[in-house]
Amino acid sequence: MQWMTLFQKELLENWRNKKWIWVPLVIILLSVMDPLTTYYLPQIIDSVGGMPEGAVFEIPEMEPAQVIMMSLSQLSSLGVLVVVLVLMGTIAGERKSGVSELVLVKPVSYMNYISAKWVSYLLLVWVSLFLGLLVSWYYINILFGTLTIGEFLTVFFFYGMWLTLVVSLTIFYNTVFKSAGLVAFFTILTIMVMSIITQIFQHVLDWSPNNLSSYILESLSSGEISSELFATAGVTLILSILLIFLSGLIFKRKEMAV
Amino acid sequence: MVDINWALIAPILIIEFILLLVAIVDLVKVKETNGPKWLWAIIIVLVSILGPVLYFIIGRRSR
Repeated sequence: MQWMTLFQKELLENWRNKKWIWVPLVIILLSVMDPLTTYYLPQIIDSVGGMPEGAVFEIPEMEPAQVIMMSLSQLSSLGVLVVVLVLMGTIAGERKSGVSELVLVKPVSYMNYISAKWVSYLLLVWVSLFLGLLVSWYYINILFGTLTIGEFLTVFFFYGMWLTLVVSLTIFYNTVFKSAGLVAFFTILTIMVMSIITQIFQHVLDWSPNNLSSYILESLSSGEISSELFATAGVTLILSILLIFLSGLIFKRKEMAV
Repeated sequence: MVDINWALIAPILIIEFILLLVAIVDLVKVKETNGPKWLWAIIIVLVSILGPVLYFIIGRRSR
């Protein structure tokens, strides 16, 4: 029951500081931007002066699967940035302002405190992702061609795993550093280093979370969900849970020391 | 002239507008911000999408 109270506190707080309104809206805008600009590319070129006389530029026909991957790549850069910026102060800021002391002076389990935050933010991120991809899916069906519900849900579910890892990573760094800026910096750094390592050791790290997007594209074009995709999603989930567990431990030791 | 299907673009504009509205209402209600309030008002109104987002991320003082 204590967990529910903490969880409700988080939901209420995120509602009061309007995160429940602006995060979904921004994610929707991000995921819709690319499909729309791709569709209107000829008009956009025309309106900025057009092609030089006689130039021929074939705009390639886009497959629906390619277009939804464009949404994902937009989410992977700016979307991840938004998620990190939203989460960067959640524990670090509370410790700075003393709110966490107000909460933790009561007999509150550290694990409950962390996991309530984790679940409340996961809910926010997953709902935003769902809305964003839903609108993007709607536009793709109108403008480019059909993408089935199954394909949509595959993209949503497996990409959600990646964002879950990002949320967990940010919460982890929240317990390590006291400054929100450092939290954001190290989270982004870690994600970048992870993607570099994945590229260098491609032959060994088949199941690295960074490969999720490429497996999603693979499963869209082949029409079935590969075992690699499941394994990668599993690895991502296990990593996220480990990170949360670790942050609980670190947080406990730090708070004891203070 | 370029013909654009406004029914397709309208939802985007509406989302942008809601974002702007929520940010402005919040700015009016909130007691203090990081930095002068009038500056945030200008940023929110003039810089589309990014303005309100910046306000929510760095403009709001948590407590």
